[in-house]
Amino acid sequence: MATEKGIGMTAATATDSNETRDCQDGEESRGSRITAVLARQDVMLLGVLVLMVVFFTVMNPRFFTTFAFANILQDWAPVMVLAIGETFVIITGGIDLSVGSTLGLSGVACAMVMRSLHHSGADTTTTIVVGVVTALLAGMAVGLVNGLLITRFKLAPFIATLATMGAGAGLTLVLTGGVQIAGGPTEVIWLGNTQYVELLTLPLIVVLVVLAVTWVVLGLTRLGRWTYAIGSNSFASRGAGIGVNAHLIKIYLLSGLLAAVGGLFVYFRLGSGSPTSGQGQELAAIAAAVIGGTSLFGGSGRMSGTVLGALITTSVLSGLILIGVAPNWQQVVIGALIAIAVGVQQLNLRSGKGSGRG
Amino acid sequence: MADQPIYEARGVSKSYGSVLALRDVDLAVHAGEIVGLVGDNGAGKSTLVKVLSGVHQPDGGAVYLDDVQRTWRSPHEALEAGIETLYQDAGLCPDLTVNANVFLGRERLRPGLLGKLGFLDNKAMAGVAREELERVGINLTGVRRTVNKLSGGQRQAVAIGRAISWARKVIVLDEPTNHLGARQSREVLRVMHRARDRGLGVIFISHTLPHVLEVTDRIVVLRLGRVVTDEPTSSFTPDSLLKAITGLSGPTAA
Repeated sequence: MATEKGIGMTAATATDSNETRDCQDGEESRGSRITAVLARQDVMLLGVLVLMVVFFTVMNPRFFTTFAFANILQDWAPVMVLAIGETFVIITGGIDLSVGSTLGLSGVACAMVMRSLHHSGADTTTTIVVGVVTALLAGMAVGLVNGLLITRFKLAPFIATLATMGAGAGLTLVLTGGVQIAGGPTEVIWLGNTQYVELLTLPLIVVLVVLAVTWVVLGLTRLGRWTYAIGSNSFASRGAGIGVNAHLIKIYLLSGLLAAVGGLFVYFRLGSGSPTSGQGQELAAIAAAVIGGTSLFGGSGRMSGTVLGALITTSVLSGLILIGVAPNWQQVVIGALIAIAVGVQQLNLRSGKGSGRG
Repeated sequence: MADQPIYEARGVSKSYGSVLALRDVDLAVHAGEIVGLVGDNGAGKSTLVKVLSGVHQPDGGAVYLDDVQRTWRSPHEALEAGIETLYQDAGLCPDLTVNANVFLGRERLRPGLLGKLGFLDNKAMAGVAREELERVGINLTGVRRTVNKLSGGQRQAVAIGRAISWARKVIVLDEPTNHLGARQSREVLRVMHRARDRGLGVIFISHTLPHVLEVTDRIVVLRLGRVVTDEPTSSFTPDSLLKAITGLSGPTAA
């Protein structure tokens, strides 16, 4: 061979300067250019959030108070914890519609177990621990069913989780007879509502810890890398020896587990399990992830975007209530936000250079 | 070239329902040899590739690696044994970087506790990915770019580089020059020479007969699921190869 030049390198030299730019370890998997684009998207989201805060404050100065922020953060916690799971799921190219009804189911399961233990005279700590474990197991059970339906029975994630969404909500009604389940230990409400540090209630502390852990997992570990890989090209991932099915089951288990954590947040905040809690929350969680830039086609998305997306959706809802819009408009607003976010994504895709899919 | 083939299919048959896709097929590749596998559409090339790469198990016959009979229960087992396959259009993960694609499924983890927790060693992987690609003649320096930023030729280069850099014994390339321009195809052929020079057995499946005639040491022609010709490349002319494929001049060309 006379020449030892590489293959098809004509376009390489033009963009090689990117290589010299320093990437943080965690962002590296998505490459410097993508990082730059998405970083701009984060800045854009932050701008939207600030504009909204200004708007609502002008319309009603009570929006800009510690009390109002505390409320927003309390609403944010369950949406955020669902949205974390949803981010993982959507990056794999799936969707989890069942998280809202799983939140309700696990909250109610927790409430029923705690009530009966409390009434039979078990001590408070045992009651709470058993109740919490029950909720988490209930959530993981739904996640496992989702994972098996998708990997073993080859159902599309949309259909599989639509089925468990309906079944979960129905089971919750069967279990409760449609009424609230109170009668657990009263310490629960104290645990769930005390501000340990300024604004920081137990659910908020939990959600921040979960967020930190999952952020690192998604960005820095093999589990995160495979999540992106499967969503980007599941056929190539399988060919590369990745256990795609096992990985997907893990992801849906995580989503179910986090939905149960959301159920616990609601239970610890109110001190009772409501059969209707969680209704529509899957929409809020999906909205948070999608507004945050996670692509419904899979393969891309960032936790920072989801955090901002969830802050935007919860602030909008609080703000609308404060400026006197009826709460029934909430779902309409969330739906509109999803449509806008996906629309913007599509426009970006079309204007962007070859996306590599198709 | 050693006398003993490094990888071999002996008497392989495979049928899908009532359709007999392969009938008593023998194919051998030696270390440091490029074998061309050609045939018309439906001749059984893809089926044979799937048997060689462990996607399908043969109904009859078996594959032998270093003269030891092997049964692949999954493509993963064949990979582990050192047989890499570049499937036609299987592609890469477009949202991941070049580096991540080269190491896909074989990620390096950080040493110590962090590695046990699954933390990736991106720095080490970036360095090795570049070295590995260079070693097979691909000077793609932007290993941190995502694949969807690369041209079609560059993507194919990464896919081939990835397969060759991991292959320890055999590499099966199914139509690697598809969708490539003339210049990029030439460079793919050059990379195949590199792989051969490194002592790999290369099986090259292609419809582009000039490429096959140029790069291979031996050509195996499949027709309707059977091997009709297995001769050194030097004994073919473009015309006789075409006749062997189409069957217009009797079963044995050359």
